[in-house]
Amino acid sequence: MSVSLVQIAPVAKAQREQSVQLLPPWMHILEGDPPLLFLVNGSQLFQITPPMEGRLIRGDRELESQLRRLASVPSQDHGTETTLIPHKAVSLNLAQHCNLSCKYCYADEGRFGGTPKLMTEVVALQVIDQLFSFPRSGGHVVIGFMGGEPFLNRPALYRVVEHARSLSLSKGVPVSFSVTTNATLLQSRDLDLLRDNAFSVTVSLDGTADSKDGLRIFKNGSDSQEQAISRIHPLLDRPGRARISARITISRLDLRVTEKIEFLANLGFRDIGVSPLRTSPDPSLILNTEDWAIFLREMTRAGEIEWQRIKGGHDFRFANMEIALKEIHRGSSRSLPCGAAKDYVSVDAEGNYFTCHRTIGDPRFVLGDLESGPRPESRSAFLKSRHVDSQAPCSSCWARYLCGGGCHAEVIQAGRQGCDYIRGWLAYCLRIYNQISLEKPSLLEQVTELAHG
Amino acid sequence: MDEKIFPRNLTARAAMSVVGNPVSSRLESGVGVCYPGLEFDHRNLDRRFFPGLVFTFVSQDEADFPSDQLRGAELVSTDLCDPELPEVSDVSGSLHVQLAKDLREALTGEVGDLLNEGSFFLESLKQGKTRISMRGQEGTPLDGTVVWRLVRSLRPEPLEIVLKWRKKNKESSRPRSKQIVRLKGWRRSFVDPDTGVIKDVFRAGELTQSMCSPWQHDFRDCGCHYWASNHPDIVLLENPPGEELLPDKNPANPELANTPVDWLRSDRSQFASVAASGVRSKNRPYQMDFYEINERWQDFSFVLEGREISRPYTRADDLSKNPFNSPQTLAERLFKLAELEHVLILEYLYAYFSIKRPDEIDSGKYPALRDDAVFAAHELLIVAVSEMRHLRWVNQLLWEMWHAGIIPQLGPSLGVAGWVPTADKKLRKRELRILDPETLQSFIAVEQPSGTLDGQYARVIATFRLKKGEYPMADQWAQMAERIIADGVQHFSRFREIKSVLDDYIDPNAPVGTSPPYLRNLELADPASARAKQALGLYRELIKDLKAGYENGDLEDAKYVVNARKAMTDLKDLGEKLGLEEYGIPLFDGLPEPKE
Repeated sequence: MSVSLVQIAPVAKAQREQSVQLLPPWMHILEGDPPLLFLVNGSQLFQITPPMEGRLIRGDRELESQLRRLASVPSQDHGTETTLIPHKAVSLNLAQHCNLSCKYCYADEGRFGGTPKLMTEVVALQVIDQLFSFPRSGGHVVIGFMGGEPFLNRPALYRVVEHARSLSLSKGVPVSFSVTTNATLLQSRDLDLLRDNAFSVTVSLDGTADSKDGLRIFKNGSDSQEQAISRIHPLLDRPGRARISARITISRLDLRVTEKIEFLANLGFRDIGVSPLRTSPDPSLILNTEDWAIFLREMTRAGEIEWQRIKGGHDFRFANMEIALKEIHRGSSRSLPCGAAKDYVSVDAEGNYFTCHRTIGDPRFVLGDLESGPRPESRSAFLKSRHVDSQAPCSSCWARYLCGGGCHAEVIQAGRQGCDYIRGWLAYCLRIYNQISLEKPSLLEQVTELAHG
Repeated sequence: MDEKIFPRNLTARAAMSVVGNPVSSRLESGVGVCYPGLEFDHRNLDRRFFPGLVFTFVSQDEADFPSDQLRGAELVSTDLCDPELPEVSDVSGSLHVQLAKDLREALTGEVGDLLNEGSFFLESLKQGKTRISMRGQEGTPLDGTVVWRLVRSLRPEPLEIVLKWRKKNKESSRPRSKQIVRLKGWRRSFVDPDTGVIKDVFRAGELTQSMCSPWQHDFRDCGCHYWASNHPDIVLLENPPGEELLPDKNPANPELANTPVDWLRSDRSQFASVAASGVRSKNRPYQMDFYEINERWQDFSFVLEGREISRPYTRADDLSKNPFNSPQTLAERLFKLAELEHVLILEYLYAYFSIKRPDEIDSGKYPALRDDAVFAAHELLIVAVSEMRHLRWVNQLLWEMWHAGIIPQLGPSLGVAGWVPTADKKLRKRELRILDPETLQSFIAVEQPSGTLDGQYARVIATFRLKKGEYPMADQWAQMAERIIADGVQHFSRFREIKSVLDDYIDPNAPVGTSPPYLRNLELADPASARAKQALGLYRELIKDLKAGYENGDLEDAKYVVNARKAMTDLKDLGEKLGLEEYGIPLFDGLPEPKE
């Protein structure tokens, strides 16, 4: 009697699914050639042999117990944040106001649900004084300028830089600066400021050459891309000590990643990051379930191109991949997705402290006011509640310590979206990392430098 | 792990321990001591505490001829290849960029030229609001070890230093403007904050350059006495040719037999050898230098039994001695030997209590007598304690032979012999005497090599060596007996040294009966007196505890040994008190009269 393959296949699949379910939660197998093993605790990556993969899938307890010893390595970042140190980075929302009306803006065109306002110099300087007031043995501080559009409040920005440098010298605490801008208002003296003070400049740009989706528009509805490009171009041409990066927001209207990266790279950007839209005043722009699979495909396509480029000796330019590889290399094991409320806080125009720039104006994320500064108990309570091990479904996800649970603001405001995409992307990056180890291990030094940077 | 698994990222690699170099070979597991260092000398990190400069911390604490001018942190060189002073500024935006730029400019310009001409030392440090001078209150430079400690306490933050020129040797003076250099920089972070990797400003070999290498030549200066640095330090000289020797091959001349010399001495000729000083710095001028140690390593002598030796070694014992014909006979003889050891203990102790203590001696009249009296008492006590060891070892031999089943139980032997051998192989009656010259001579006689005592043990050794088949642990037992003989030779030497020291105080023209100035006129205390009773009580108590301990066979039995030790200590204290009052403990009281 013969059994048809059609009859066999479902049985084999069921057996395999059952076998996979036997895997303990502290490990994850990435199937492929070669198979990879990821131990969740410590984010440890191993290449294994197909026979070993088979044994693990079949639930080999003896092998599991041998691996258990490796898996018990204490991870870096776990545990509740019981000993908070003062924040070392702060972003000032100098302008809760913007000259653009980007359709997906999380900040309600800078207003954050309120009326447009500019931060006064008094408030700004007081925030800076608070930042420098803490003892900083061996550390440095970072000051970011956000909005809205921070260059709408140019005088305050310049004044803060001057004041911060003075405090830095007198207290012996190094300071670095960053700004996120739409670039449309940049003037040549602004570029000199950015160069001379070694700013990290993040430019929000989405487009491609043929992009006419009209998402980044002026108040009069015209597209802002051309002006932004022309204003940032001199800095790209002559960056001085400034480091410039572009950030692309991907809406469901245009999921192409490679083309956008290519476009911006041709403009001269050497650091380009991509962020999928999860929250928006216009919900039609948000990626939905079907979009995530496409987005993952787009990201991996961009990843493949990036891999070929760096294999050929070019520098990294695809920031998402660069950062992922850095984290994998280090074995980052994070209990939180970012430094919000831990190392980093954000301040609104009136001097109220929030967990980050995405949560300005949201009372669920307030940490303190201008008088109190960010209260340690508020920070601590927030961080404890956001620990990835206490989140669902994160606590059972193999990628949780690389992911950290996702942007607090997005998750709280709109729930967790795109987890499959995140796992898919991380799985892809883990495999690329393994390939780098095999084919071009010298690149890991570059990754290591990134890890230091 | 019975499957092959390949760690890829850092945490995976850290988790895997592979066959090969153990964890203990990794630098991070190293013991970063600084004496000067077993795995790496972490002082070498601080040599580059300031970017662009390399210092050395100079100490004069153990210098033969200390010089204040040399103390402190001396600038060795500037280092324009320092990665933290890049030629092109980086874009980190940190404060250090400006400092680095200015510092580089200074070091590549006139300031650098100035620093490279002449000798500059760290004069002061300023970090934050704190300024610390590298000079003490009187203005003298702090020692390099102190300066290093201060540098070590700096934080990895901006810093100002002042360097000052010091004139050396025949250098001509320079104008004040060229004597002081002020620099602003920062204290370097020595490791990467993320990975812990040591910064690459340190050249290969730099961190281990001052490691001690105790198995090569640096053991000369090992101050921590790490095990691998152990080497002979104080030794006895080899017997010169033609020198009269004792049966154990040691020189008959007590001075030659007992004068320690420095094993590391540079002048290896016999006649230039001087006694080693007790202070390292005083020996140092006469020691080989490092290069010499490497070049002349063949000149170092093997050392056996505390004496240098360059000829083939031959055993000192004479195996032709008439072995005992049976274990029983041997055991009976050992029993008697133990009693002999016991009587010597008591005689030596009594003599010990008869020597004056320093504050009883008029140093105006006899300037050196205090030290000499201390020496004599110390040596005598060492011999007495050595006899106590022999008493125990002989009892151990008896016990082990009994437990090996070759003899019935004979011991413990804790009796006191009535007769003691003399120089002409006769016997004298036991006697408690002060350490007058006659007594001392009789002590020399009993311990002399090839004397009666020595001869008896030689027969014991010969028995164990020649009749191994009858004695299950013949080798070990023979070694124990050999040790007793070796000690005996030392006793002989020590007594002769005591004699050579104390003879200076014997006035041949003094009337008969005149007591030497180092002696107390001890009188045997009345056994019925309270103090004597107390002392005798302690003595009998300790003998009782020893008996119980030796009977049990577990000679390390804590209970009895502890009790015996306590009694012994108390007895010594009481003996001192009685001696001060010029009474001697009647240690033979209650013992049966020796039979003729």
